[in-house]
Amino acid sequence: MMSRDHDIKLQEFIGELSGFAQTAEDTLKKIESDMMSNKSEFSVFSERMFTIRGTAQQLGLPKIAEIAGLGEEIAIKGSAAEKNSQVRKCVGSLWDALTTVKYLLMNPEVETNEEQDILVNRLQATLKAFGGARETISPDEIEKLLCSDNSGENSGE
Amino acid sequence: MTPSEIQILIVDDVQTVRVQVKEILKSCGFEKIQVAGNGVEALSTLKSEKFHCVVSDWYMEPMSGLELLKKVREDAELKNLAFVMLTAECTKEKVIEAIKAGLDDYVMKPFSKEHAQLKLMNTLLKRKMI
Repeated sequence: MMSRDHDIKLQEFIGELSGFAQTAEDTLKKIESDMMSNKSEFSVFSERMFTIRGTAQQLGLPKIAEIAGLGEEIAIKGSAAEKNSQVRKCVGSLWDALTTVKYLLMNPEVETNEEQDILVNRLQATLKAFGGARETISPDEIEKLLCSDNSGENSGE
Repeated sequence: MTPSEIQILIVDDVQTVRVQVKEILKSCGFEKIQVAGNGVEALSTLKSEKFHCVVSDWYMEPMSGLELLKKVREDAELKNLAFVMLTAECTKEKVIEAIKAGLDDYVMKPFSKEHAQLKLMNTLLKRKMI
């Protein structure tokens, strides 16, 4: 059961998200209007999905975070696509991802259903077809990198 | 210095996150906390008031957390600020770029209250601010 505090934060987040989702939607429309010329707009979509993913993770909404994360990665692939058909494929997948993220945000009590699982599988397949997600790093690896980087020299002194 | 004397600036474009991080820092005993919604706003605030530490998200418009970090490290008056990135960015290439730019510590979302506290306190201790 969600706490009252969590509920309030969730409501605030949903309210804030409308602006992010609108930007993402406008971006997709712009790309659709001239796919190859406007594909740089994928980076805007990716950053909006990044924001939704991070905040959803923090608020304990894993399904939203998962779909937004896949949208983020597919958008990155879209910006590097060389063919019109590849851009179109990315745009199609991103519409599905955005629509589902918006639905889940408006209905956070809805349990994961088969339809969402199918979408996740489809997005994963699309991402895989474009070469897979970028290499990630674990908190432990970051810790090691930070330790090996002499923190005393961080300020450039 | 004690935590209550440390001036901290939280930079994030999501208000929900700004509020949450502020609550965490207050529960650690930090009292002097301000917020900014992006790098440009943050830089302006940093130049007009004295701060000891920045806790920043990554992607923000019109200036990202990484760009803010680089500006801070290039600035003679700001370069000694403690700088902690608090973000969902976990791609290896990006994280390495931030560390090379002079990051003090990195807190990955989702983070627990205890983890964020520990990271921030360690950073301030290393910087001999507390």
